[in-house]
Formats: sequence, structure tokens, C-alpha cells
Amino acid sequence: MSFSSLYRVLFKRNSVFVGTVLASAFVFQASFDTAVTKWYENHNKGKLWKDVKLQLQEGGDDDEDEDEDDE
Amino acid sequence: MLSLRSSLKTSLKCLAPSTRMLSSSSVAAKSTYRTPNFGDSLRENNDPDKSRSYAYFMVGSLGLLSSAGAKSTVDSFVSSMCASADVLAMAKVEVSLAAIPEGKNVVVKWQGKPVFIRHRTAAEVQEANEVQMSALKDPQTDADRTKDPQWLIMLGICTHLGCVPIGESGDFGGWFCPCHGSHYDISGRIRKGPAPLNLEIPTYEFEEDGQKLIVG
Repeated sequence: MSFSSLYRVLFKRNSVFVGTVLASAFVFQASFDTAVTKWYENHNKGKLWKDVKLQLQEGGDDDEDEDEDDE
Repeated sequence: MLSLRSSLKTSLKCLAPSTRMLSSSSVAAKSTYRTPNFGDSLRENNDPDKSRSYAYFMVGSLGLLSSAGAKSTVDSFVSSMCASADVLAMAKVEVSLAAIPEGKNVVVKWQGKPVFIRHRTAAEVQEANEVQMSALKDPQTDADRTKDPQWLIMLGICTHLGCVPIGESGDFGGWFCPCHGSHYDISGRIRKGPAPLNLEIPTYEFEEDGQKLIVG
């Protein structure tokens, strides 16, 4: 895509320009959130609750299922 | 736009007063100021679309980042008004209905209030349906008060002054409030005494083919 067609398609009309910016802000935020969460979970692997929960279930679920409401 | 730009170049170079009117304002044309020659400083073979696209891209990227930041700021303020997870966890109560035999009352606590659950017999359902609307202080059919006529689920708080009525007592075979003597029938409707309204029905759902009750 040459610069002239890029200009003609995206930047020439302000409504299209602002619309593109706002629409891509949503896409950017979703992908940024996913990327950061992925990195964080990868960085803290083994320390997160979902991993610990699996370990506890393997070790014996005597700690689980005790929280029945007994009023 | 390209032709305008190249005409700008030529106009800067020749500086003829007649071609100097670039802006829409006519004041510029009337000015006696002689614009210096910028021709030497202007780049040859400059692609105006490239530099312009670059500038617009930078402006747009800044707009993108700031609108994403503004959105997440607003998000965090709005989500701080949501109920927190511990509140949501306390907001519902699950009851296994299989453990309640027919003709028995069970009281569970939901949001600090007692909830009466009665597994009604067929005779009791019939009795509740036979009551004339004209005999009621707060007319409500039994079908309005139950989702499944077998199960009567209601808040165990007397509508008079908030005592907890006693089950399976009173003149109408339902509940009796010991504080001021309100009698409720087997559908929890007020029949006698000072209470103005029927016992309140909370929102509830049956799940797992009616084996489980979720109040809230």
C-alpha cells in the first residue's frame, strides 16, 4: 500500500481517521491485555492459584469440599 | 494536493506577487512583505504523501494510546462500583431439596434473613388453592406465590414488625407470629392479625431437575 493510497483511505476524512483510531483502540486494548496476562502467567508459573489448586487436588482433597454451609 | 504542493514550491521560487496568494485570506495578498526564497531549503524529490502519512500516523497512534488509557481509567472507576466477589458469594444460598421430606419445613439463612422452605403435600396445595380471594387481606393466588406448587419458598419475616413466625401453627395450618398474633395460611398469606401483607417471596430458581434450590 503506497503512502498516497494510505493517505486517501485513512487520513483524508477526519471522521474516518478518528473512527479508525477509536476502533483500533479497542482492538489494541484487548490484545495488550491478553499479551500482558500471558506474560504475567508465564512469568509466575507455579505460583498462581490455578496451579496451586491443581497441586492440592492431586495431593488429596481433604481440604476441599469442607465448606458446606452449616447454619 | 500534490499539485498544490508543487505550485507552492514554484510560487516560493518565483515570488511573483500575483501567485503568492496561498492562504484563503486576502490579507496575505495585500501584504507588502516580500517572502524570502526558501527554494534552496526545500528538499528535492520529496514525497509529500510519505511525510504527511508519517505525521498522521504519529498523531493517530498518540490518539489510540490515550483513548485506550482513558477507556481503562473509566473502566476501573466503573468496576469499582460493582459488588465484590465476597459479596456476590454471600448473595446466594443453595439448598438440596432431596433432603426435605414431604410435609416438612426447613429454615435457611439468606443474606441474614430466614427463608422458609416447605415441601407441601398435595392436600396442602389443594387447601391453598381452595381459599376464596375475597377472604384474603392481601389477595394473591397460590400460583402467584409459587413456581412449583409442591415447594413454598418465602422470607420468614412477619410483615407486621419483622418477627420470625413459627411454622405449622396458627389457626390456618400455616405460620403463626408469636409477637402480635398474625396467622398465615399454608401459602404464607396473612389471614388474621395485625400484619398487612403476605409473607414475601424472594427470587429463587430450581436447578438440576428440581433437586437444588438457589435463593437469590
